[in-house]
Amino acid sequence: MTFFKQIAIMLSLFLLIILSTVLALNFTTANQAIEERLYEDAKNTATSLSLSLGTANGDISIMSTMIDANFDSGNYLYISLLDVDDEILYERKSESEHIDVPEWFLHFVKLHAPLASANVSAGWSQVGILNVQSDLSYAYKQLYETFISLLASFGVLLFVGLVVLNTLLATALKPLKDIQLQAEALAKNKFIIQENIPKIKEFRDVVVGMNNMVAKVKAMFEKGNEELKKQKELEYTDQITKLKNRKYLIDKLPQYLKEDATSRGGIEMMIAISGVIEANDTIGYKKVDMLFGDIAKIFSQSAKGFDNSIVARMNGTEFGILLPECSNEEGLELAKKIRDDVSKVIEDAGLDKDITFVSIGLYPYNHRESISELLCMCDNALAKAKYNSSHIQLDEAKHTLEVMGKEGWRNVINKALQDDNFYLSLWKVVDTKEQKTDHNTITISMMMDDKTTYSYGQFMASAHQLNLGLKIYQHVIDMIFKKPPAVFADKICSLRLPYEYLVQDGTYKELMQLFEKYAKFISFELVLEIPEKFPKQNAHMMKLYKELFEKYGIKMGIFEFIGESEDYYYLQDLQPLYIKAEASYFLTQNDKSLASLRLITDAIGISLIATGVMDTKTLDELKQKDIYTVQGRVVEL
Amino acid sequence: MFFSAFVMAQKPYVDDKLLKRIEKKYNIFALKRFEYLQKTLDALRDKSDFEKLDGVNRFFNDVRYASDMKVYHKRDYWATPWEFLGKDMGDCEDYVISKYFALLYLGIESKKLFFTYVKSTRFRGAHMVLTYFKTPRSEPLVLDNNNFKIFPASKRKDLIPIYNFNGDSLYRVSKNGRGKKIKNKKSHKKWDELKLNMKRKKI
Repeated sequence: MTFFKQIAIMLSLFLLIILSTVLALNFTTANQAIEERLYEDAKNTATSLSLSLGTANGDISIMSTMIDANFDSGNYLYISLLDVDDEILYERKSESEHIDVPEWFLHFVKLHAPLASANVSAGWSQVGILNVQSDLSYAYKQLYETFISLLASFGVLLFVGLVVLNTLLATALKPLKDIQLQAEALAKNKFIIQENIPKIKEFRDVVVGMNNMVAKVKAMFEKGNEELKKQKELEYTDQITKLKNRKYLIDKLPQYLKEDATSRGGIEMMIAISGVIEANDTIGYKKVDMLFGDIAKIFSQSAKGFDNSIVARMNGTEFGILLPECSNEEGLELAKKIRDDVSKVIEDAGLDKDITFVSIGLYPYNHRESISELLCMCDNALAKAKYNSSHIQLDEAKHTLEVMGKEGWRNVINKALQDDNFYLSLWKVVDTKEQKTDHNTITISMMMDDKTTYSYGQFMASAHQLNLGLKIYQHVIDMIFKKPPAVFADKICSLRLPYEYLVQDGTYKELMQLFEKYAKFISFELVLEIPEKFPKQNAHMMKLYKELFEKYGIKMGIFEFIGESEDYYYLQDLQPLYIKAEASYFLTQNDKSLASLRLITDAIGISLIATGVMDTKTLDELKQKDIYTVQGRVVEL
Repeated sequence: MFFSAFVMAQKPYVDDKLLKRIEKKYNIFALKRFEYLQKTLDALRDKSDFEKLDGVNRFFNDVRYASDMKVYHKRDYWATPWEFLGKDMGDCEDYVISKYFALLYLGIESKKLFFTYVKSTRFRGAHMVLTYFKTPRSEPLVLDNNNFKIFPASKRKDLIPIYNFNGDSLYRVSKNGRGKKIKNKKSHKKWDELKLNMKRKKI
């Protein structure tokens, strides 16, 4: 229960008790006043009647008549005349039982009509004592009306009192509410600075203290953000051509060369510009730099037609263009166009196109190749191109990809979807410093029968390439919520959601329906991992997902992180549990970059996890860089 | 029984503390009057009812008559016995009151003593006397401040009885045949006021 509620209940009770006491006292006073009145009336009657009775000279019949006359004309409950021995000489009692008030009132309120007495004498001698009691029905009615009006006015008072109390309390405790919001935000690593400093000293000190703390953490985050931006710009951008550099290509390649890549491969083009020294001599460095800028534009323009393509300056005279899903024919045609366009700008710059020219080596890569294999094959093709008359060389692909043909995979995957042959298992992500499991990643495999099992790496790329990847994810997400394996219980389990799955129409709605129905029943903590490029390219969609996840208590992680952003405020908005990046990414970062990243993640409580850690050597290198939580084959060693 | 009667006999009509206040407020003569009263009462203690009535009547009839307007600047005021003897003057009700309480002190039952409103044919006006009823049905004896002697009511042709009143008997009224008795601290306005003044030891 909140402090506000406790205080409100306490004060309301207090108010209620005070008002009830005042009501009770008022009512008792009214009750007493009425009884007093009853007595006074009776007393007046007793005195005046006793004087009248004195004139009867002790004649009982005359006295009875006098008593009757009085009793019948007034409101009396009882009149009696006792002789000197206390024996009743004459008495009258009211026979009317009807009292015009509700039964419960009569039950709870007991009115007593006091007995008033007066001596009766006849001449010098005593006749006895006259007793008179007033009738109660009128008194009851009057008391009932008093009670109702008291109740009504106290009801109004109570209502007004409660409203005023609530308003005053809300006003008085508003600073506390603001402090609570600020503290909650801080706990979630959100930075709220309170502008309104409360006037109450205790509250003011807390607010000022928290504001200072928030300001410091915020400054830390901002410093990290600025630093990292600067570092990334220097680290990934070629200053002359404004193209990406070799490091960028290398950090980015793991996203293309992976077992579950959505693109099975394409063309990697390696382009060298020859005759640069001569060009410098002819037109000067500055003009050559400008020429390089123009050439870079041609490269960028040429790559535009291919989704997720990368254009990078590998060194002073060499450029690389990664073209996913580009066929050999398309590659060759594009290479020719690039060669001709570049040749034209070289001529326009006043240079000899036979001395300064481009050579283009093309290599059809596939997603299972390693980075070094890919670069080596490209270099080979480029070397050949330089001595080729057309200056273009397309080398043969090294690997034949398919064990099973496209159609074969289509059948297998469709069958698995139909027969529900997917099997979920967990791989540990380990905190090597604490020697404990940080969380578990969910991996998917297909168990067709007792003998045939396909691992994720085997089928996922083909599934993506056959456009069946999203269906598999739908199926798996469904499984996770509707019938999660028993082994998941009480664990933290993470699942990578591919970019294509997240952007697909209907995914959001499907997830929402699933969460709504099943999220509260799952017995494990689920972390859904989002690729870094998703929030960057789909800010609005990301906001919706974030709200959806938060609503159902599902945590979020970032994977495929290379810090390729304009800034890192999105991390503050998303508040992911962790950031996962390839081990090679962490190892190739310079100290400044990594320190900036750490500043950001420490400020908002995000942990860093290295993926694809294959051996202990890599693990040791990571530890040198202060990265202790790892995922990959090394965990099994 | 004997012991309690002995103790009662030892208790003075006016205690020392009150006597000191009376002396302070009035004078030494007032104190002397109260000492004389105590002596008179002590002398009457073992006498018959009539002797007690007679002794008390004579003692108080020595006090000077004065109207309430003159003494208290009020039209009608019932003085406590201490005020009455302290000031050494008062009107007919004040005589009745002082006699009544002195007789109670001497052990006369309160139910036998009545304040009687009468009309005096001699003075052509309202008057009050103390009446003593040996039994409820006997002829009362009249203690009048205008007469040093006590006479039966039938001998007092100059007085026309109007109304008998006994505050204590009204306090004691019990309810006959009508459920429980209702406790009531009131009986008669003037009487109630006097009882309060007595309780507060008004002098």
